[in-house]
Amino acid sequence: MVLVRLLFIAFVVLSIIYLSLSLYSRSKARDRLEAEWDAGDFEIPRESYVRAGLAEYDGSLRRKLILGVYVVPMSVVILIIYLVNFA
Amino acid sequence: MRYIGWTLLIIFWVLVGAVLHYTLPQRDIVRIVNTYEERQELGDWTRMFWSRPDTQSDGLITRDVQFIQTVRANGRPMVYRNEDTGWSWPPYFKFDTSNLYTEAADAVSTRAAPEWYVITHYGWRNEFLTVFPNAISIRQVEGPDASKGIPWINIIVLSLIAAFFYAIWVRWRRFRRARIDPRLEELQDNWQAAGDAARAKRGRIRRWLDTWKAR
Repeated sequence: MVLVRLLFIAFVVLSIIYLSLSLYSRSKARDRLEAEWDAGDFEIPRESYVRAGLAEYDGSLRRKLILGVYVVPMSVVILIIYLVNFA
Repeated sequence: MRYIGWTLLIIFWVLVGAVLHYTLPQRDIVRIVNTYEERQELGDWTRMFWSRPDTQSDGLITRDVQFIQTVRANGRPMVYRNEDTGWSWPPYFKFDTSNLYTEAADAVSTRAAPEWYVITHYGWRNEFLTVFPNAISIRQVEGPDASKGIPWINIIVLSLIAAFFYAIWVRWRRFRRARIDPRLEELQDNWQAAGDAARAKRGRIRRWLDTWKAR
């Protein structure tokens, strides 16, 4: 039960961090694309340029790296468990 | 007002320091004298200085706790409790209490032929509150003057905390400079302008009143 409580709290806290980070990162990507369009001389309209760029961002490694918000603390916990109990 | 602010600030940082000092691991060089188990009353507020290894232990008012009796390198006694932290706070995830108890029992030595161990622990010893630090692990060293090793965990954790607070502080300062300071200045200017206007008005009335005075 204590484990369930820990997992629940960790999940909620990390999810808040994950959501905020991914929203922030996506808005940054949008800003960058808009600045790119404003600076360059593009044939396609601004809206579709940004949409295409964001679609590319959605498949990018940068977005998947944000999952580290879950992975890193979990790895740290496993490392601590190993060091304290088995090393 | 200034004193209240300072007092709150000092209390906050003392509390942060106390929590860190209680929670972060420390190392002592000790000679292990004995191990024992004793029933402990856990019914009052000092409950927070004992572990909550599982859900059952939350409801128990008394339970048996293992202890490790030691003498430190400086000759003073130190008693450690030996409890699982389990999945609860502080995050040591210690489950090998029984193993540590066995190791400690195996490491007992006499004053005549001392064997020295580095014992990693967290927590405080307080005789009045009957509070004991919780032993995490033991490792044999050559003598009472041996090195305790570099406290990597403390260095990493404290650096991360410092970086976190610094990041918040920098952003707060930037925010204040950009948003709050101009507002305050504006407010002050308005206030001064209002004061000037009132003074000017009063001056006008006064001049008008003066016209009625006998010359």
